Amino acid sequence: MSLQNRTLRAGTYLGLAVLAGATLFPLLWVTSIALMRAPEAAAGTPSLWPHHPTLVNVINIISRQHLGRYFFNSLVVAIATMALSMLVAGSAGYGLARVEFRGRRMVSWLVMLGVLIPNQALVLPLFEMFRTVHLVNHYAALVLPAAANPVGIVLVQAYMRAIPADILDAARIDGASEWRIYRSIVVPLMAPMLAAVGVLIFVVSWNDFMWPMIAMQQESMQTLPVALAAIDREHYQDIGLMAAGATMTMLPMVFVFLASQRYYLRSVIAGSLTD
Amino acid sequence: MAALEIEHVEKTLRSGQSVLRDVSFTARDGELLAVVGPSGCGKSTLLRLVAGLDSITAGVIRIGGRTVNEVPPQQRDVAMVFQNHALYPHMTVYENLAFGLRVRGTPRTQIDRRVRQTAAQLGLEAMLKRYPRELSGGQRQRTALGRAMLRNPALFLLDEPLSSLDVPLRAELRRELAALHRSLGTTMVYVTHDQSEALSLGQRMVVLAGGRVQQIDTPINVYHRPANRFVAGFVGWPPMNFLTAESFDDGARVPAGASGLEYGVRPESFSTQAGGPDDLQLAGRIERIESQGSECHIELTQRFGRVLARLRCEKLPRVGEQIRLWVRRSDLHAFDRTNGQRVELMGLERSGPRPEERTQ
Repeated sequence: MSLQNRTLRAGTYLGLAVLAGATLFPLLWVTSIALMRAPEAAAGTPSLWPHHPTLVNVINIISRQHLGRYFFNSLVVAIATMALSMLVAGSAGYGLARVEFRGRRMVSWLVMLGVLIPNQALVLPLFEMFRTVHLVNHYAALVLPAAANPVGIVLVQAYMRAIPADILDAARIDGASEWRIYRSIVVPLMAPMLAAVGVLIFVVSWNDFMWPMIAMQQESMQTLPVALAAIDREHYQDIGLMAAGATMTMLPMVFVFLASQRYYLRSVIAGSLTD
Repeated sequence: MAALEIEHVEKTLRSGQSVLRDVSFTARDGELLAVVGPSGCGKSTLLRLVAGLDSITAGVIRIGGRTVNEVPPQQRDVAMVFQNHALYPHMTVYENLAFGLRVRGTPRTQIDRRVRQTAAQLGLEAMLKRYPRELSGGQRQRTALGRAMLRNPALFLLDEPLSSLDVPLRAELRRELAALHRSLGTTMVYVTHDQSEALSLGQRMVVLAGGRVQQIDTPINVYHRPANRFVAGFVGWPPMNFLTAESFDDGARVPAGASGLEYGVRPESFSTQAGGPDDLQLAGRIERIESQGSECHIELTQRFGRVLARLRCEKLPRVGEQIRLWVRRSDLHAFDRTNGQRVELMGLERSGPRPEERTQ
């Protein structure tokens, strides 16, 4: 490696390290505050490191604020949304990319349109719909509207278009039924993109605030972000407690990302690898 | 094993564009039939129609005597090798080979035996655990061939299987393919845009252009008796020269048909010496000499155009000098000016084989 290359590489890593630090710093600081006792956390500017680490905030928020219940709600909704939307995006994206049928272009176009409409604009009609079918305060109210995520469909569709149609034809000639082709060829080929879509949907669902706040009026059905906002209004002076809630809200996301990172990254770099 | 019969097949796209018009030919049982034509002539479409991947607009396709017009690809008992190999990228070579048998519910032990047997035949034993991305171009092509062979189909369809490989490898695989065909004895339809590949590989060849069959015959007959001006110019390299009677020294001596003939002379038909009293002569100035090692390509200009001749390199005049060339009258091809069809020049012995189709 030439000196110039080495310098370039060192510079790149330095830049990346700075960016990573900037991203991680607030997360680590919040986690650190969550482990502080009240006086330490309440200091004008909390220190960066807990001098007497304690789990009292975590225990308090779980036992006194029913955080476990909200956590459970969020988890159920996010996992169900992720699973269902992967199913929908996988089949719809494949169908729109590789199955010939009348009106395919029209459907593609409508899905695209769905990407452009802001969710806030849908809140009112959605609420009316779910009230009519008596699904307000029900997990389905959060899962169903998010299941057919147009972004996921568009991503899978674009990804499938890049896969040569000859591979599917080869399987047809090999004697595989359409269902078998979907199961043995299509799903494994789009797995990286599906994983990426899954992570994306999980994060969006987990962080969603407005619609869960409206659709889940019963307190026991609320999701973490909504509940956390309520706790904040009540206990805004207890910084340690809030930090504990925030930490518990972001932890699952870190795990989801780490677990799926292998597939996620593969789909992101797939475009640069021919073959 | 089975013959492939194609009768009056038409394919018109939804846009109204006609891709194949009244195409009829037969690939005999066990034959290696080459389908050749310039890009866009409809040859790949034809293969997809035979495989059942696209539907025909009119006509009949029969495989082994069974009409398959409405039969889906899964049940046509054909195997296809694609131009880009179309290997399953997420499967190892072993799984790629085994997929067709697995889908058909073949017992595991039998699959294993047949996969290993085919892999051995193609020299792929050491590659079985590799993924397609870890293979060289030739290994990928062999895997694609193996996948097709394993199912022991009634008919092999090969769509430009060698075009993505480099030249030496292409020649090597061409030999292997011919040997493979001899040992398997399965009917093969081999589509290519490379006329030299069709000439060397096909037992018979179908020349396709503009969605129509131009000629069906043995390579030797197609070469020596091209059915029309298109085939004459397309098959053979360097391509045939097209001349008028005036190009020759004594235009009146050129065998005349009805008025309006165009004459074709293959570059290798020229000679620098008269072979007999009946030979035709033409002269021109040498524009360019291109050595091919054993022989030279000489481009000369005349008042009536350019002529390319293939000659031995010895004792040639230099560039810029005049040269005189002789052609045997029997090496002259004639084509009708209005429709391009071949015109037999009466009373002349041909140097090539007889018109009757050669049987193998």
